[in-house]
Amino acid sequence: MADAIDGGTEGDDGAPADATTSGDRAHRDSRSLRGRLERRALVALAAATVGLLLVVFYYPVATVFVDSVLVEGRLTARVFFDILSDPFYFGEPARLLAGDSLVSVVEGLLSPDRRLGIVGFTAYQAALSTVASVALGLPAAYLLARFEFPGRRTLRSLTILPFVLPSIMVAVGFVATFGQNGTLNAVLGALGLGRVDLLFTLEAVVVAHAFYNAPLVARVTTAAWESVDASAVETARSLGASPLRAFRDVVAPQLVPSVLMGAALTFVFTFSTFPIVLALGGFQLATVEVFVYRLIRDLEYAEAAALALLELGISLGLLYAYLRYEARHTVRSRGIRPLARRPLVPPSPSPRDLLLRVGLAAYAVVALAVFVAPIASMLLASVSGPEGLTLAHYRFLVERQTAGASFQVRPWDAVRNSLLFGVASLAVALPMGVVVAVLTTRGYRGRKLVDAVAMAPLAVSGIVVGLGLLRGLVFGVEVGGTRLAVGGAVAIVAAHAVAGYPFVVRTVAPGLDGVDRTLVESARALGAPRVRALVDVELPLVWPAVVAGAAFAFAISVGEFSATVVLASGTSQFTMPVAIERFIGRRLGPATAMGVVLLVVTSVSFLLIDRLGGDDVGF
Amino acid sequence: MTTLASERPPGEDVLDGPPAVSLDGVTRRYGETTAVSDLSLSVREGEFFTLVGPSGCGKTTTLRLVAGFEEPTAGTVRFGGESVAGVPPEDRDVGVVFQNYALFPHMSVGENVAYGLNFADPPGGVSADERVAHLLDLVDLGGMAARDPDTLSGGQQQRVAMARALAPGPDVLLLDEPMSALDAKLRERLRVQVREIQRELGITTVYVTHDQEEALAVSDRVAVLNDGRVEQVAPPRTVYRRPATEFVATFVGDNNVFTGDVTAVRTDDDGRRLADVAVGDAAFAVALDADAAAASVTVGDRLTVCVRPERLAVDAGRNELTADVTSAEFLGETTRVHLDWAGREVLLRAEDPPEGTVTVGFDPADAHVVDGA
Repeated sequence: MADAIDGGTEGDDGAPADATTSGDRAHRDSRSLRGRLERRALVALAAATVGLLLVVFYYPVATVFVDSVLVEGRLTARVFFDILSDPFYFGEPARLLAGDSLVSVVEGLLSPDRRLGIVGFTAYQAALSTVASVALGLPAAYLLARFEFPGRRTLRSLTILPFVLPSIMVAVGFVATFGQNGTLNAVLGALGLGRVDLLFTLEAVVVAHAFYNAPLVARVTTAAWESVDASAVETARSLGASPLRAFRDVVAPQLVPSVLMGAALTFVFTFSTFPIVLALGGFQLATVEVFVYRLIRDLEYAEAAALALLELGISLGLLYAYLRYEARHTVRSRGIRPLARRPLVPPSPSPRDLLLRVGLAAYAVVALAVFVAPIASMLLASVSGPEGLTLAHYRFLVERQTAGASFQVRPWDAVRNSLLFGVASLAVALPMGVVVAVLTTRGYRGRKLVDAVAMAPLAVSGIVVGLGLLRGLVFGVEVGGTRLAVGGAVAIVAAHAVAGYPFVVRTVAPGLDGVDRTLVESARALGAPRVRALVDVELPLVWPAVVAGAAFAFAISVGEFSATVVLASGTSQFTMPVAIERFIGRRLGPATAMGVVLLVVTSVSFLLIDRLGGDDVGF
Repeated sequence: MTTLASERPPGEDVLDGPPAVSLDGVTRRYGETTAVSDLSLSVREGEFFTLVGPSGCGKTTTLRLVAGFEEPTAGTVRFGGESVAGVPPEDRDVGVVFQNYALFPHMSVGENVAYGLNFADPPGGVSADERVAHLLDLVDLGGMAARDPDTLSGGQQQRVAMARALAPGPDVLLLDEPMSALDAKLRERLRVQVREIQRELGITTVYVTHDQEEALAVSDRVAVLNDGRVEQVAPPRTVYRRPATEFVATFVGDNNVFTGDVTAVRTDDDGRRLADVAVGDAAFAVALDADAAAASVTVGDRLTVCVRPERLAVDAGRNELTADVTSAEFLGETTRVHLDWAGREVLLRAEDPPEGTVTVGFDPADAHVVDGA
C-alpha cells in the first residue's frame, strides 16, 4: 500500500486542524508550539540528513571528480585519455587507445612478459581473492547450515566479526603471522623446516582478503541454506530423486544467487582494497586504490581523481550487473520448515560419514590458520620480545606518550582521538541512519532513488571521500568573498559518519520493516504525529537493532583508515589505525600492542552487535 | 446495478444537517488496480454503520480513507460536511481498532489506553488516570491496567484496543474486522458488548466485516460493497428482505435467483399486483411491491427474482417446481437441501430433509424482484 512518509498527507496551510470543524477539536494540542515542532520533525530531520550528505559527501566527492576534468580552468578529457591509454594502468589493452593494432595487443597479451597494468593487476588479485573467499566460505556455510554442534550459534555470529575488525589491525595480525619473525616461521623452525617470507607477496594479500570476505560468503550462503524448505527436498526425494540429485535440483538453485552475491560483493570490496595491500603488499604490489593514495601524496590530484573515478565506474558497473542478475534470478523460498541439522558426531558413523568428517576436520585446520592465527599471532607478538614474554611494547607506548618528540605519534593521543571521533561520528551517524531507515522502509514513489542516493557512500572509496573533504572543506570554499573552512577533526568525523551510517540503516531498516504497520497507524489515529509514533512505538520495539547499528557506526569509525590517513597527514588528528600504520614499518612490537588495544575496543562493539541484533543485519 | 447517491433505495431517508462522515465520489487506485471506485455514502451522527463485502471489495480501503491512512485518488471524504483532504490521521479525531488489535507490546494495558491522552485532554475534565480506569471498567477490564498485553486472551486484547481507541473521546470509531481473529462463540458475545458500548456512548461507528451475519446482527445500517462499488445501503432487514441487486441477494444469506421474461401483469383477488414470469418450463407468479425495480414492470421485461430457501415449502400448492434432491447439509436447526431443477440449482431449508424427487413452491409475496433490466 502506498503509505508515505510524514507530510504526505498533511495540508499546505501548516495547521490542518483548522481545516475541519467536526467535534471539539480544541482539546487537541496540535496548534501548540510543541505540536507544530513535532509534526515537522521528521521532515526537518530528513532535510538535515540530505543537507549533511550533500555537504560532507556529494559536494566533496564532486570536487574531486571536477579536478579530473578541469585542468588549469579548461574542461578536458585528456587526463582520462592519458590513463586509459597508458599500459602502466591498463596493461596491453591500453595500447589499443594509443593507436596500436589489435593484433599486436593480442600478441602482447599472449607473450610471457605481458603487462597487466595496475587495473589489470587489481582485477587479477580481486578475482583470486574472490575464488579464495568462496572456496573458504562455502564449507563453512555447509557446516553452519547442515550440522548441529556445540558452539554453532557462536560460530555463526562470529561471521559478522570481520565487518567490525579494522583492516589495518588485521594487516598487523598477518605481518605477525607471515613476517620474517612471525609465528609461521617460528612453527616451521620448530619443525626443522626452512623459513618462508610471505610478506609483500600476492599470496599474503589474497589470504588476508579471504579472512575478510569468506565469512561474508559463508553468512549469506548459510542464510539461504536455512531458508530452503525441507518439504521441497522431501517432495523431490519422494518423486525418486537421489540425495545428490535433490541437492542439485532443489537446494543448489536456491543457494546460487547468494553465493554469487557473496562473490560479487567480495570482488567489489577487494577491487577497491587499500589498507591490506598497503600494509601487506607495499607499493610494489600496488592496487588502484593504493596508487590513488600515492598520487595524492605526490599532489597529483587530477590524475588521482581520474583514476579514482575510473575505479568507481568499474565497481559500480560490476554491482549494477550483479543487481540486474539478482533481480532476474532470485528464487528464495520462505522456508516454513528448514532442513534438519545433522549431529557433527554421528552415533554410528558409516564410512561415508567418516570421510565427510575427515574433510570437515581438514577444513577446520585451514580455517584456524586463516582466521585465528592472525589474531592469535598479534596477541602473542604484542607480549613477546627477544627474551620471551615481555610488556616492553606496551611500556613503549606509554613512554612514547611522555617522551616522544612533537612530530612523533603519541599513542594516548591516538587512542583518545579514536574514541572522540568514534563518539562524535556515532552521534551524527545514528540519527542519519535511523531517518534514512524510516525513509526507505515505507513504500512510496521514489523510494528506490532515496535508497540509492543514501547508500552511495558504501560504494565510494574512503580515499576519495577523504580527498574531497580535504580539498573541498578543510582547504576551504570561497562563499561570497569569505573563505569557509572546517577543521581536520570535523572533517574526519564527517568522513567517519558517512562511512558508518549505511551500517546503521542496514541494521535498523529490517527491524522497522518488521514492525506491524497497524501499530504506527494506531498511534497516529490516537493523535501522535509521525515522529512521535517513531519515538514512542517503533524505536522502543527495535532498540536492539538501534544499539547494534550504533555499535557498528562506532566500530567503523574506530577502524576507519582510508579517509583518516588522507585527512590526518601532517596533523595531530591521527587515530589508532593511522598510528598502527606508522609503527608497522619500523616497530612491529608497538604496532601489535596498539593493535591489541584496537581489538579490545572493537570486540566490545562486536559483543554489543551480537547480543542485540546481529542476526538481523541486512547483508 | 450500482445504487447512486441520488436514487437511494428505501430505508435511506433524508438527513437533517450534515452527515458525521461522508464519501463523495471517492476513488482509490493502487497503480493499475482500483480498490474503491466512485464510491459515495454517508454515515449519520451516532449511527452504527457497517461496510460488508467479500475480501477485496474495498471495505478496508474505504475505512483507511476515512481514517486518513490513505488519501483518495479522486473524490472527497468529509467529516461533518467539511473536507478532510490532506488532514493527517492524528488530526481527524478518529479511534481505530484493527483486526490484530495492534496493542503496543512494550507498554502495559494502562499505558496503551493512556497513549492517546498524550495528545488530547481527556473529555469531561477528568484526569488521565480516571479516564483510563473508567474505560477499562467500561470494557470489563477494571484492575487489568498493570498487565502486559501479551498476557491477555484475544478477547481481552480486543477490548483493550476498544478502550484505547475510545480514550481520547474521538468523534468517530472505526473498527476494521475487530472480531475475525476470535472463535465463533466469543465473537457473538463481543459483538453484543461492542454494540452496547456504542449505544451507551452514542458514538458514530463505522464497522468493517466480511461476515454478513455479523453485519446484520449489529448494524443500524449496512452498506454492501462489491468490487469497489456500493451495491446497497439500507437497514439490515431491508438488505435481507429486499436486496437491491442480485449480488446482495446471494451475498447476504442463501438465496434462489430466477431470471425470466414477464408474460403478464395482473391484479389478483386480494388486489395485489402480480407478474407472471416464465422461468424454464415453469411460470411463476411474483408479487410486485413498491420497489423501484418492481414498480414499472411491464409485459416483455426481463426480471430477476429471488426467493429465500426458507420460503420454499414442500407441496406448497403455488408456483411449484419439481426437482431431484442431490445433497443435504445438516446445520443443526435446519438442513440445507440442494435440488437439481432441470440443470438449475435450487436451495431449500427443511427440518426433515426430503429424498428422491420433490415438489416445492412459494407464495408470490415471498418472491422479491431485484433487477428489472
